[in-house]
Amino acid sequence: MANMKIKAKVKGDTLKCKIQAKHIMLPYDAAKKKGVDANFMTLITAKVGDRVIFEASTSQFISKNPIFKFEAKAEGLKKGDKLEMSWTDLSGKTVTEDKKIKGLK
Amino acid sequence: MERRKFLGLGLVAAALVPASLSAVDFRKEKPDTFTAHNVADAIKALYGDIKTEKGDLSVKAPKIASNGGAIPVTIKSGLDLKSIALFQDANPESAVAVFTIGEGMIVNYMTKIKMKGPGEITIIAEAKDGKFYKTSQKLDVALGGCEG
Repeated sequence: MANMKIKAKVKGDTLKCKIQAKHIMLPYDAAKKKGVDANFMTLITAKVGDRVIFEASTSQFISKNPIFKFEAKAEGLKKGDKLEMSWTDLSGKTVTEDKKIKGLK
Repeated sequence: MERRKFLGLGLVAAALVPASLSAVDFRKEKPDTFTAHNVADAIKALYGDIKTEKGDLSVKAPKIASNGGAIPVTIKSGLDLKSIALFQDANPESAVAVFTIGEGMIVNYMTKIKMKGPGEITIIAEAKDGKFYKTSQKLDVALGGCEG
């Protein structure tokens, strides 16, 4: 749980999610100055079971420790369902974490 | 010009592939989008030559951002969309993010982006019926934040 903060809650018929990933998100310019390789997330996805509810291809200009808020229809979700977040960065590292969705009956 | 033609061919090929819900990594499929140096080129690389119109699509960002390292941007739409792309014209490269929208997703995104200086945020949305929508917002940045 060290790499990501995940909040997922169902309110009415909407699933509201907020995530913050811990990542340096170093763009090419800054990396050049520091003399290290640029590194930033390139693909972020969220899933509940097999259903993809969020997907973004990102570039170097997403802020450091990026925050994403997104929503989906809560239709078909059951109690105990988990939100599974994963991201891949430029170095090829992939991190996946999940968290129980709150507010489901 | 050879490169442009090649790009065009790629787009046609991509258009023939039926849209699926599986992961689409735009960075792999349209790498030129992320290396384009201005918004027009980036849009061209991603969607090809398109005509945009105004619709139910909005972008919200502060008029003056105090910290260019983390500018909150909210995108909302009630349209039936396939994908949304977020661009800005202050940084050396234009593309920021491309969101893929599938079944059961609600278009209400918030994320924080970096901008080196004052500029304009452009949102292009691709609808399922093949139409494109565009909206943009200009903003000032008090402190540039491209240094991470």
